[in-house]
Amino acid sequence: MTVTVSTSKDTETKKSKQILSADTKENQQYVARLKHISFSYDGGKSWALQDLSLSIRSGEHLCILGANGSGKSTLGHILDGSTAPDLGRVELLGKVVCDSSKDEEHRVDPEAYRSARHNIGLVFQNPEDQIVTTVVRDDVAFGPENLGEPRPQIAQAVKDSLQQVDMLSQADHDPTRMSGGQQQRLAVAGNLAMHPTMIILDEPGAMLDSAGQRDMLDIMARLTLAGTSVIHITHRLEQARSADRVIVLDHGRIIAQGTPHAVLDGHQLPGLGMINTDISVSQQQLPASLANSEKSLQSELLQARGGQNTPTDMLGHVISLKDVAYQFPDSQDHALNHISLSIDAGETVAILGRNGSGKSTLCRVIAALLTPTNGSVSVTGIPIAIPNSKTPKKTRRRNLHLLRQRVGYVMQYPEHQLFADTVFLDVSYGPRNMGLTPEQVNHRVNEALELLGISDVANRSPFNLSGGQKRLVAIAGVLACKPQLLILDEVTASLDPQTSERIINMLEELHSQGVTIIMNTHADQEALRLADTAVLLDQGELSAQGPVEEVLKHYHSLLNSAAHRNTSPDSQSFPDQPLAQEALEDAPSQVTKNHSQRNSSAPLLLQELDPRAKMVTFVLAMVTAFCISKPLQLCLGLLVTAALFAAARFPIRRILTSTRIFLILIVLTSLLNLFITRTGNVLVDVGPLLLTDDGLWIAILYSCRFLIIILLGALLVETTTPTQITDALESLIKPLQCFGIHTNEIALVMSLALRFIPTLSQETHAIIEAQAARGGSIETGSLVQRLRAAVAIAVPVFASALRHADNLSMALDARCYEGGRNRSHYRLLSFNRQDYIFIGLMVLYVLSLIVLSVY
Amino acid sequence: MSMPSSDENKELYSNNTASHQSNSHSTGASRTGRWSTQRIAIYAMFVALTILVSFFSFPIFQMAPFLTYDPSGIVVLVAGFAFGPAAAVIVSVLGFLPHIFSDPFGAMISIVVALALSVPSAYIYQKIRTRKGALLGISVGAVAALIVAIGCNIIITPFYAHLSMQAVLHMIVPILLPFNVIKFTIHGVVTFLIYKPVSNLVNRSH
Repeated sequence: MTVTVSTSKDTETKKSKQILSADTKENQQYVARLKHISFSYDGGKSWALQDLSLSIRSGEHLCILGANGSGKSTLGHILDGSTAPDLGRVELLGKVVCDSSKDEEHRVDPEAYRSARHNIGLVFQNPEDQIVTTVVRDDVAFGPENLGEPRPQIAQAVKDSLQQVDMLSQADHDPTRMSGGQQQRLAVAGNLAMHPTMIILDEPGAMLDSAGQRDMLDIMARLTLAGTSVIHITHRLEQARSADRVIVLDHGRIIAQGTPHAVLDGHQLPGLGMINTDISVSQQQLPASLANSEKSLQSELLQARGGQNTPTDMLGHVISLKDVAYQFPDSQDHALNHISLSIDAGETVAILGRNGSGKSTLCRVIAALLTPTNGSVSVTGIPIAIPNSKTPKKTRRRNLHLLRQRVGYVMQYPEHQLFADTVFLDVSYGPRNMGLTPEQVNHRVNEALELLGISDVANRSPFNLSGGQKRLVAIAGVLACKPQLLILDEVTASLDPQTSERIINMLEELHSQGVTIIMNTHADQEALRLADTAVLLDQGELSAQGPVEEVLKHYHSLLNSAAHRNTSPDSQSFPDQPLAQEALEDAPSQVTKNHSQRNSSAPLLLQELDPRAKMVTFVLAMVTAFCISKPLQLCLGLLVTAALFAAARFPIRRILTSTRIFLILIVLTSLLNLFITRTGNVLVDVGPLLLTDDGLWIAILYSCRFLIIILLGALLVETTTPTQITDALESLIKPLQCFGIHTNEIALVMSLALRFIPTLSQETHAIIEAQAARGGSIETGSLVQRLRAAVAIAVPVFASALRHADNLSMALDARCYEGGRNRSHYRLLSFNRQDYIFIGLMVLYVLSLIVLSVY
Repeated sequence: MSMPSSDENKELYSNNTASHQSNSHSTGASRTGRWSTQRIAIYAMFVALTILVSFFSFPIFQMAPFLTYDPSGIVVLVAGFAFGPAAAVIVSVLGFLPHIFSDPFGAMISIVVALALSVPSAYIYQKIRTRKGALLGISVGAVAALIVAIGCNIIITPFYAHLSMQAVLHMIVPILLPFNVIKFTIHGVVTFLIYKPVSNLVNRSH
């Protein structure tokens, strides 16, 4: 180990590593040893872990299996060193970190914990919440920076760990626009860069589609090969196959352990059904078609019964889509294209497809939450989109109101929409918006709670329930509106088997009552059990339609080819989120190409400037633009702005389109200025219209001032990455440290905030939509109704922010963020000659403005 | 921008009883930083939310369509209620800082107004933790913000429109006053309705 640069922190880390390695020689074979540990969340009333002992050998791939509430995540937190047990002895990486036989003061050894955590990696379920910046390589560098490693070492670690997860070619991409699977691989890379001895993965595939899950299994296998100890926590039996050893937890105790073969085969494990087996079910394992045809026969009978209640169009379809296309406003690609589909009353239809294939968009179009850009849509007999015709606003509003009463929409992770103080109040939100009487509302709510088997929690706060119960409450909130058509977006995603089963039973019950059901799903078993027919979406188009088994076969061949693509270095899978749709058009390879093209052509002055020089001078130029008052000054200002655009070689048109709202505002205010100015020579005088040359000049002056300000601001933002902006901010506010202000931390807060805006934006829109689907609207209704709608949106939005904050703080801990003081920097800001020249020129410009105003 | 006092720290940690970070289970390792990772994460999310909702703007007063309402004031108020005056300061300043690149003076005014709104109210609610205290805090904050907002408008409007200071003064009663009264009333009412459920969420998860 060569020490090149060594800060005090650096040597400290090194020393602790050396001590560690000496220690591990003695206990070579174990990365973790737990002896008789017990853990309680409620001060001993109940035990999440009871008298548990476990030793994990170095280099072992251990899988911890357990149902929700079995204590497996708690065990994970004890192993990752983020929490200490109440009783027992914990030894991590050869060091005793916690021993309850010692007196209370010495029970926990914070220093030992800290140094152990530097060598323990953690990857958890939410892919997005583990990303801290908007550039892949910066994200990987975050951990080594926190450890205060010198720059060359960080650069090497970034390269090596990206290579290990096959993402080196995407080093400059924006991870917030990647698929969940890629984000999880990046999270692994972020941990690898800190050279962990052991990595803990807590349900890493829970929020991924099948291809993403395969990816994670593949990465884990590679880590084991490279000698890292891997601890995989999951409730999916089939994912345990590749482990060296499996332990099964139940009620905080280990109830079985051994090789995957010995543990998994032929045993009934508590709370771990084989329901979510979408990976292991291959085409051969699909149930016999006999069972299925019997089922469809049954559903035909039911259809005949229930179909009469649901309004349909003239051809008897509940839903009919003709050549529907949808394009997100900020994207050039179609999220949906050429979709024609008819669904009969009482039918259950499964929509299959990979993440990002347009499934969610299709659901939102059918629920009338999105208006298609092309094609016609009619749902429950109500036309919600007719091509080339504009429905009057009033008719449209009435249609929507009618539709909301007939169509229920359960968004992805519907528990995110919960807001009220009690379950009962939350579920009653929809029926109350429909204007039902209190008795009717009560009846509806009780019925819905009963259907989902959660009547016993009616008076509890929805936020105090378990994850599964929250999901059931949110679904009850939709069912209480008694929809004739129910649309569900991944309703069992990351749920435990028991709750999934309960939801499936509920859907079977609704189906028998004649409700038409449309469901997005990844799970084969779910589609096979529930659906009469299935459709497969691929890149926004219908690629198959028909009997569920047939469509599943197509789906699996699609997944297989995707998995092949994923294992190649330049893989690109499709992101799920609408905001990320743009990423489809900027395929990574293209971005890289653009990048290299840029580099090969003449240097782009503005992009290469130090961001501090740019930010300060631009803001100065923007502020002084307000002082422009003479024609010569204005000419100079416009000239300098044009010169800056030329230096950036940035197409001005792109900025004009991105700032068009401001531009419209400019035009309006300049018109105002034009007509309220009454001084000067009269040019036009027609009736009340009086136009003077002064007015004309004022209008031109004010609009040009704003144009300069807006163009400069936009140019600055376009030519500077968010990372550069926050780096510059950190450096610029550094002098404030003298006043006791934590400038590093503030800069980190700002950079994390910028990174999370798209995430929160997406969730906010989803919440607004979900509440709109339950009839809540801020724009219409009485003042009380509007306020209620505002609360129903605001509370879940804050809840979502707090949820992300929780996960993010876990991610910051996993990457060993220990305050800004001892951090090193992967990127260095340095002023060179061109920065000084640029600052000189800009100062000259400002001085000229001042001189011109005097003369 | 003032440094958060150690009192603040205690308050944030005292909310921590329910989580795995609670005292008996603490490993002590994540306390090495000056701000806990939790504090950083929470500030970041509230700043992000402020920036995000400050773009959800729409006119509310027909007399002056150029004056728009956005719900960002609610976020800074709630941040102050849930996490104290220091959080209110951080969120107010950082939450409007990005606007400096589109509207430098507007951004500065937004920061000053947000501070006037959230800091007094957070301070009062910290001292009087009851519904009355919340109401008092919101009212004092709203009045302070109203005065600051009108004062700033008088100074800044001549930069934006060809109006004399005199003309702007004439706009106070018919335009600026009613607009700002409506704006801060909406902020106040919504905050009053949601601060309790949100604080419960904070106490539950942290």
